[in-house]
Amino acid sequence: MANFRRFRPDDLNKLSKCNLDPFTETYELGFYLQYYAKWPSLFQVAEDQHGNIIGYIMGKLESSPDVYRFSEHYLPWHAHITAVTVAPEARRLGIGRLLTEQLEAAADANNAWFVDLFVRTTNHKAIAFYKSMGYSIYRVVKDYYGDNLGDPSLPSEDAYDMRKPMKRDVKREHIREDGEKHEVDPSDVW
Amino acid sequence: MTSYRYGRPALRSSVDVQLQSAFSEGNWNAVVRLAAKRAATFKDPYYEAIKMCAESQLDGTAEKCGVLVAIDELMQNKKVPDLDIIELYEWACRDFLGYEIEYAETLGPLRVRWAKANATSPLALQCMQACLEKWDLVSAQQIATTLDKTHANSTDRRYLFWNITLTFLLSISPQCTDASRKVYSLLAVRQLERAADLTENWPDSEPTDRGLRTEEEICLYYRVLLSHGTKEEFISRLQSPNLGAIRQLKKGHKLLFCEGLKALESWGEWDCIYSICREALTRGIEGETTPFFVCDLQVWKKFAVAASKAADPDNALIEVQTLLKQYIEIKDKASEMHRKNLSLALLETTFRLPVTTLDPDHNSTGLSPRVVQLGLYLDQYFERLAAFDDIKYYITELSFEEIKTFMQAVMPRIVDENSDKSRKIVLKVLECKLRYLLTTCPQTLSPQPSVANGEVQDGPFQCRLCNKPASLPCRCCLKMVISSASELYQQIACDSKLSDAIPRLDKDPRLDLALVIGISLLKLAGLKPQTSDTGPSIWKDIDPGLFLQGVLVLDVQLKVSPRDNELRLLLVQLYLLLGCASYAYQLWIPLDVKRTIQDALSPIFFDRISNISPGLFQGTRSFMEPLRAYYNNTLRDACPLRIWDAFSSGSYTSILDMVEYDSDLRRSCTMMMALVEERRAIRCFGGRIECEIEAHPLTANITESTILVNKTDYGSFPNFESINGPPLHEFLRLGPGLSNERSHLAFLSEQYLDLLAYKPPKEYKPSKANEAALRDREYTIEVLSRLSESLADLLHKPETPSRLNSGETSYYTIVSLLSAALLTAISTSRNDPPPRESLSLVTSSIKTAFATLRGTLPLSNPVENPRMPQACYAFADIQTLSWVRDAALAIRHSAGFVLAIHDKELARDRSGRSGLHRDVLAEMRALYEISGKALGEVKSTVQRLKEALAEGGWLDRLLDLVFGGEDQEEEDEVRKAVGEMVGGRAGAEEWAGKVIESWREGMKGWGMVRME
Repeated sequence: MANFRRFRPDDLNKLSKCNLDPFTETYELGFYLQYYAKWPSLFQVAEDQHGNIIGYIMGKLESSPDVYRFSEHYLPWHAHITAVTVAPEARRLGIGRLLTEQLEAAADANNAWFVDLFVRTTNHKAIAFYKSMGYSIYRVVKDYYGDNLGDPSLPSEDAYDMRKPMKRDVKREHIREDGEKHEVDPSDVW
Repeated sequence: MTSYRYGRPALRSSVDVQLQSAFSEGNWNAVVRLAAKRAATFKDPYYEAIKMCAESQLDGTAEKCGVLVAIDELMQNKKVPDLDIIELYEWACRDFLGYEIEYAETLGPLRVRWAKANATSPLALQCMQACLEKWDLVSAQQIATTLDKTHANSTDRRYLFWNITLTFLLSISPQCTDASRKVYSLLAVRQLERAADLTENWPDSEPTDRGLRTEEEICLYYRVLLSHGTKEEFISRLQSPNLGAIRQLKKGHKLLFCEGLKALESWGEWDCIYSICREALTRGIEGETTPFFVCDLQVWKKFAVAASKAADPDNALIEVQTLLKQYIEIKDKASEMHRKNLSLALLETTFRLPVTTLDPDHNSTGLSPRVVQLGLYLDQYFERLAAFDDIKYYITELSFEEIKTFMQAVMPRIVDENSDKSRKIVLKVLECKLRYLLTTCPQTLSPQPSVANGEVQDGPFQCRLCNKPASLPCRCCLKMVISSASELYQQIACDSKLSDAIPRLDKDPRLDLALVIGISLLKLAGLKPQTSDTGPSIWKDIDPGLFLQGVLVLDVQLKVSPRDNELRLLLVQLYLLLGCASYAYQLWIPLDVKRTIQDALSPIFFDRISNISPGLFQGTRSFMEPLRAYYNNTLRDACPLRIWDAFSSGSYTSILDMVEYDSDLRRSCTMMMALVEERRAIRCFGGRIECEIEAHPLTANITESTILVNKTDYGSFPNFESINGPPLHEFLRLGPGLSNERSHLAFLSEQYLDLLAYKPPKEYKPSKANEAALRDREYTIEVLSRLSESLADLLHKPETPSRLNSGETSYYTIVSLLSAALLTAISTSRNDPPPRESLSLVTSSIKTAFATLRGTLPLSNPVENPRMPQACYAFADIQTLSWVRDAALAIRHSAGFVLAIHDKELARDRSGRSGLHRDVLAEMRALYEISGKALGEVKSTVQRLKEALAEGGWLDRLLDLVFGGEDQEEEDEVRKAVGEMVGGRAGAEEWAGKVIESWREGMKGWGMVRME
């Protein structure tokens, strides 16, 4: 049913199965192309037999700018998952897991210390999914999201910054066990 | 110096504070004064450039254009220019680029000159970036070549590949002259071949070598080879030990493998596909790559197809199956997705095996290995949402005997008696969908003689499923599908246990049932694909009651499943067909089609929207604004978005793909649709069109030879049809989808209307009026000649008729004829021989075409149907009303245009000698009169429709159509089923109210449309 391959811009004309889903954000063209231009191997798609995109992952490789080198919030060379989505009809087949594993393989190939991502603290399903893949909470970013899906009367929502160490982090220096106790402000997150 | 791209350029740090402040504050008069002083003091041309730059920001035309002269001087002067001055000038003339001056002829070559003289400077790279961002490939390539030579021994490999990439881009670009194209093509290929040979022969050489090392570099080589090399070369490299697809797979790189297979398939190189797939899959089993790395369904499919085309297909397919079995043995280690891919691959290989291999005894019981394999597949996956899509194409390949056995003997055994209720329901829903699918499969019909046993038969075929006379689709089978689907629907509705189980299922089974029922009703009503042949109003060919029942069922289901997009999309199209555009828009909004996905999805709602509901354009904010803003923002610059990011990251294949995507977007049919729809709507309300369509920045590079590209995405539409017929969305459109031909016709017609509407500015008072008049007339003749020829050429292309609906064919024909008539009219002077024959031939064709179009005007040919209000026919045919109006106005303005020229000439030259021919004037007056009458008819039609809607009893009339009136007491099975699903007549009242209200809103909009 699915083929996994690298994203190509023409896929943007086949996104309806994923992006008409209200939980998937549609970005400006420049945003997708920026990822494809800079980190093509971290932009992977799953397509069905008619060429429709039924899942995709967008990621990047980076470190904090040098000026933050001595900051406690400095992030060394790592991969970041910006977006991962699977069309409703293709869920429960492990497509999200496969796409994430592919990004992790690319992170390892590029000698990243870890892969990280942000997730709403109320998105228990996603948190459980990432935990099952070896991600753990590294810190809590207070009021990271400018809205609150669980309680629309609240102006914001916290995010978990979750991480999974890659092969390079042999000593597991970039993860922590009590991440939930470490709170930071959005301004500390680069 | 800070780049001008991010705003005003920063001046050199040596410039004094006073001038710096004046410049950064935009105090241009002060800058001019101060810079002039500094120039006189320091004799530094840089200050002259600052002065020029500041002057370009002043209001005077001479000051503004001074920078153009300065650039020209720099060009003439063969010296190496100062880069800071170039940057200042580039910023100063930014508004002139592409109009008054071409970057590639001025600033680009200046940057090349500087870069060549300063090749080791890091700023030379900035020059290449600047040229690239202005999409001046000629200059960028020259700088890249210089940089490559300069950094030949550098560890930064990008210089080499920037050079190659730019040489290749230039070779495929219109910027390259035909004479140079071959040279650049060869250059790109040769450089890459040299690099490839180096890697093949010394795979582990130094990082400074000029071979191919990264995945991007290797794939760039294959892309260039695919474009400029030979097939043999490509295939030979693809199988080579160091640069071949298998070696890349071992390194964890899949891109080349995927692209290689695609190329081989396009060449029909099946033997090669077979061997590459076999090797890739074998390496996975042997552990040389991650086991399921290439275990995609398309790889298995291609492998199986290649095997079936092999010299010895039996053995080749057995080899496929052997490999597949090896994978199945380790499937416990695979993800659910790959396990499913393996099951589908098994199905695929079974279907590709020759029948003689599968069933040597030719046993025709129907329980063939193919049927058995389908059963086994469904055993595992029938509950999954995609189960129907997974098996659909295999079902359509089965023989009738196999189908019968599958449906009667295999399907019922997939779940046992004691199984969970919800599982049984899911299977039954799948069965309903399959039974619908079978109504679209020709193997379910057998031909029957038109007369049998002395009796004339009802249909040309007999349905082999129900044994009734039939044509495709079989009406009896459709009714049975509706009946069993609605029974199931009711069963779920009445069983609380089943209702409670719904959230645990992949999909609410009621949704699929409603879709099956709704679509079956549409088919039963007689809905056909909306091609160029279908009549303008759907009602004329279909049973309105059944059609409305279908719409009602689907609409009611949307309340139950408001988040289902396929149902919503289906309803959007159905309401557009019904003429309920405002209601369709209400349904469209929650889909939140925005930003990047607009190009592919907007045509579903916006195509032809100005024809059916101009009123929608009347609002505080233009409802096409997001679409317009998307193209304006995305295509503002000449270069593809983010292209420098790809260059600086060394993503060479991304560069090529981004260039191709950008090129397609600039030629998008959706973009043309957006421009044209908005212009038509503006004209409806007498608004002011900002600029001529040809002068619009978005059409700047669209010429008559440009192929416009349609990328409409119908992927989210439900499609239960077999591959033997068109997909469902083709039944629902207002005519053929977007196309190059229709988009060009619309573009040319708008240009024609622009010509007619042109009025010179009030302040335009030429000193030599006679000369100016002569030039104006020559220009008009030239434009008319081009438009007339292009329109006629397009209309005569063999494929064009199938790309237009009947109203469009009439309208574009009339515009084409009008342009020809005007050409004759204006180029015939009073003293020429009478153009009677040539002109009257064209004008009589216009009259005939227009009379035919007018003859289809809604309400002009009442349809005899006592139950169906005549106005209903008109609401679904409002497009015709629009085309009659548009054609009438085109005729009126054309005639007016000619008569105005004549009047102007008379006013200018009292002798009357320069006026137009008498015959011409007579013809034009006749046309003017006809158009006036037609506009009156349109106006009166709108009025009559408004009055009809103002009458009482619409709700009852509409509900009577759906449920039958008092005179139709006898209730048929289908109507009964629909009634039960939607809560009877009372349950449908709200829906009927919405439909009627939407018609009223539509007509209210039409009431505001100007008829002049």
